[in-house]
Amino acid sequence: MPASSPAISSPLRRGEGFVDPKALMAIRSLELRAQVVVEGFWNGLHRSPYHGFSVEFTEYRQYTPGDDTRYLDWRLYARSDRYYLKKFEDETNLRCHLLVDQSRSMTYGSLTYSKSDYARTLAATLAWFLNSQGDAVGLFTFAERVQNYLPARHRHGHLRQLMLALEGEPEGRETNLGEPLRRVAELARNRGLIVLISDLLAPVDELERNLGRLTAAGHEVVIFQILDPNELTFDFSAATLFQDIESEKDLYLDPQAVRSEYQRRLQAHTQGVQITSRKLGFAFHQVVTDQSLDIALFDFLKGRRRRGKRVNRRAQSVSRP
Amino acid sequence: MNFLAPWFLLGAAAIAGPIIFHLIRRVVKERMPFSSLMFLNPTPPRVTRRRKLDNLLLLVLRCLCLLLLALGFARPFFASDDVLPAPAGEARQLVLLVDTSASMQREGLWNQARALAENDLAKSKPGDQVALLTFDGQPRTLISFAEWAGWSVDQRAALARERLAAASPRGRGTHLGLALTSAAELFQEDPGKPASRREVVLITDLQEGAKLEGLQGHEWPAGVNVTVALVAAKPAANAGLEILSDAGAPSGDAKEIRVRITNARDSSREIFQLNWETKNAAARAREPMEIYLPPGQTRSFSAPKLPAGASAATLQLTGDEVSFDNRSFYVAPESEHVTIAWFGSESANDPANLRYYLQRVFSETPRRKVEIISPTAQSAFSPELLNQAAFAVIPNRLAAEEITATRNWLARGRTALLVLTDAQMGPTLAALTGLPEIQITEAAGSFALLGEIDFTHPLFAPFADPRFSDFAHIHFWKHRRLEIPATANARVLAKFDDGSPALAQIPIGKGNLLVLTAGWNPADSQFAVSSKFPPLMQTLLDWSGAAAPARSQFLTGEAIPSPASGARTALSARFASPELADKAVRAPAVEWQKPDGQRVSVASAAPFTETDQPGIYIATCDGQDHRFAVNLSLDESRTAPMSLDELARLGVPLQTITEVPGARTQERQRHLQQAELENRQKLWRWLIIGVLAVTFGEIMLGGWLARRPKTTAASA
Repeated sequence: MPASSPAISSPLRRGEGFVDPKALMAIRSLELRAQVVVEGFWNGLHRSPYHGFSVEFTEYRQYTPGDDTRYLDWRLYARSDRYYLKKFEDETNLRCHLLVDQSRSMTYGSLTYSKSDYARTLAATLAWFLNSQGDAVGLFTFAERVQNYLPARHRHGHLRQLMLALEGEPEGRETNLGEPLRRVAELARNRGLIVLISDLLAPVDELERNLGRLTAAGHEVVIFQILDPNELTFDFSAATLFQDIESEKDLYLDPQAVRSEYQRRLQAHTQGVQITSRKLGFAFHQVVTDQSLDIALFDFLKGRRRRGKRVNRRAQSVSRP
Repeated sequence: MNFLAPWFLLGAAAIAGPIIFHLIRRVVKERMPFSSLMFLNPTPPRVTRRRKLDNLLLLVLRCLCLLLLALGFARPFFASDDVLPAPAGEARQLVLLVDTSASMQREGLWNQARALAENDLAKSKPGDQVALLTFDGQPRTLISFAEWAGWSVDQRAALARERLAAASPRGRGTHLGLALTSAAELFQEDPGKPASRREVVLITDLQEGAKLEGLQGHEWPAGVNVTVALVAAKPAANAGLEILSDAGAPSGDAKEIRVRITNARDSSREIFQLNWETKNAAARAREPMEIYLPPGQTRSFSAPKLPAGASAATLQLTGDEVSFDNRSFYVAPESEHVTIAWFGSESANDPANLRYYLQRVFSETPRRKVEIISPTAQSAFSPELLNQAAFAVIPNRLAAEEITATRNWLARGRTALLVLTDAQMGPTLAALTGLPEIQITEAAGSFALLGEIDFTHPLFAPFADPRFSDFAHIHFWKHRRLEIPATANARVLAKFDDGSPALAQIPIGKGNLLVLTAGWNPADSQFAVSSKFPPLMQTLLDWSGAAAPARSQFLTGEAIPSPASGARTALSARFASPELADKAVRAPAVEWQKPDGQRVSVASAAPFTETDQPGIYIATCDGQDHRFAVNLSLDESRTAPMSLDELARLGVPLQTITEVPGARTQERQRHLQQAELENRQKLWRWLIIGVLAVTFGEIMLGGWLARRPKTTAASA
């Protein structure tokens, strides 16, 4: 089972961990936050599903005018008096793209920080972690369309660029996964890991249709659904006008009257997303913003290890006669 | 507590504003943002508790601020016994000014005016001082303050009504400015005990043709109020006419007569007819001339042809509805024949001679023909010719016979001009004046200028204006020094710059001898070719009495100069000899016949002033009849009412249009007392200070409340 079970009501999972999220969010630098979470957690192992050899020679190709002369094999030229270029494999084992939702609904937060703050910290943590393993990390931030794109790379300074891109405040309006995921499918052609961090507050059928594109491209997809504690409990007391942050529509509500119905429908939505994820072979993690970030990282790595074992088993069964 | 302007308390209702704003703000504040409402359905509002006002203290302060402001504007004061001293008794000075101009002859106006005046008289209190004046072109006092005070209280109203009943509108113009300033002067003339109120009640139709001269810049006595009581005529078309006074020609001349016609601004008609009123059946049968004149306009037209042989006639305007100004009277000016005696035999065609210029300066005009005769031209002197002359010019020495005849002629009231063409004329002058000590010598020097002129003399009075008074450019190449003894009773009218007389007037009997010490011929001076020569000679001819009055057209109210031949002689003589003037006044009287047939005898020298009705006046003197046409001023025909703003603009202290009722007066007095009391207490200042203090408190509290939620959130 690729996804961990949603822990809406599990008090043991909520708030436990090595780092208190409130204390973590008080740190201003996103990079430092990621470093704090990853430090001490450097025992997570994962296997790449792909056979990669860094700086590995693959083939020669005859030189044609316009090619970069830096890759000319001068020794071969000395031997054969012919110009050949050396071609290498990619430098990394894993190409991971982080998809961070920057829609307006992510600005909601009943704590001292918003869902967007939490999501960006989570993305930074994953990026730091993967980068420190030598994996290439890319970034998409999106709302109704892709706002920021950094290709997956592993080179000096790339992580810094990624942190800067993540530090931008949400500028989008509504959550619309259709257009951003289409662009992701276009831009991330090589197969790799896609980590989607969003509140997924959109109709389930729409989500299913859009996420299906990533599966078709052969990507491995991990979904983190970020929710505020108030979104789970709807813990309001006075009857008042509620305003939708994205559409700015007003709705007069008596929380006491609508709470149970709200929770029921939210749970149904979450289950719908889970079923869809399972159907598409995605890993699904629901993260509440009062939850420690290292637990989310742990869930992520645990899911990765399970998947690695399953791949190994499948490989062994295939190799047996 | 009382309020001077209680309606401002309505402003206190504005406190509803802050209350509403506090309620509205509460609703706005309770809007709760949420990430997504996709899992929520609206629920109907369930009232769990009544809506409460937020920040009650802030609300109270805001309401208090508005309340204090409303109280301040209502100008509160505490009623106390410390009221102003009661006004002095109701005694007042009242001048009733009743219009009796010609326009008041319109239907019903005079009765209205009398009723208004009688009403004011009836309401006068025993302590009041009342004066009653009527006015048209001139104000006339019917009852003065002193006269009113002299009557017993019971009889005052009845006597005043009696005087008023004797008055009636006459045919004169309206000089409203003079009437109002005269009424104001009555207050100044009567400084007696001060009255609490000084009022002028002006009862008039306030026609726009009334003259307002004298009102601009007039210093009104303190405390005078003018109340205008309008009498209004029923709307009617009115047009008036005026024969232009200088138009026409001596009788028998066929030249056209111009007539000016005005149509009142509020007139409803535009087409009128013009015709001569005559008993001649043939002339009456002639079609009247039709004229077109829009309302509010004045135009000049050619009058229809005067009936043949008529020297006096009446021009009638028909077609309008008001008749008082529809007739204009015309008298053809009399043609004069003036004879001047010239004591010389020079040619009239030689420019070097004096005669040449004299002949030309008295050129013939339609109204006056001047004939110059020479009694000495023949071999023997002719006294008969001299007696025919009205004026004489003596440029030469005279023989003894001539001197005697001339002296007698002068003594009968004639005037002669003696021109000293040489220094040898001394004996002639001495003999004429009977002053043997008179000496004449030839003056030395290159030339002389006129240095000193007596502009108070009628001869030079027309030149008194600074624009015409420059005689200094006339060069006199030669002149004679004349020394007149002090006993001569002579008057020097002009002097040269060397101090010697240039023109002197020496009385001889009833007549005058003017002595000019230089000739006007080019050898002696530039006088004849200067612009001063013709007017001065014309004035000399008029002043000498040689010419009869030229005007035959006058306006009502104007004085007609006496047609008696000795009138001007006597007038001129008064400068030289008061005794002679007295004799002239005692001369046989001139009998005047007014248009209504009334006969009045006036001293021969005195002008006739009773021109109070339009028509033809006939003066009989020396067995001759002289006719004069007296007409109404055309301004009187502009009967549309004038705006009261025009009077206000000229500084007339207007009070109200209509009478102020007693109850309203008391109310106003009470209001004035309250205003004075409020002005002393000035409670509004404290209220404004209170407003500022409350506003400051509100600002501080509001600021604190605005900061408080942030503090709470941070602590949370």
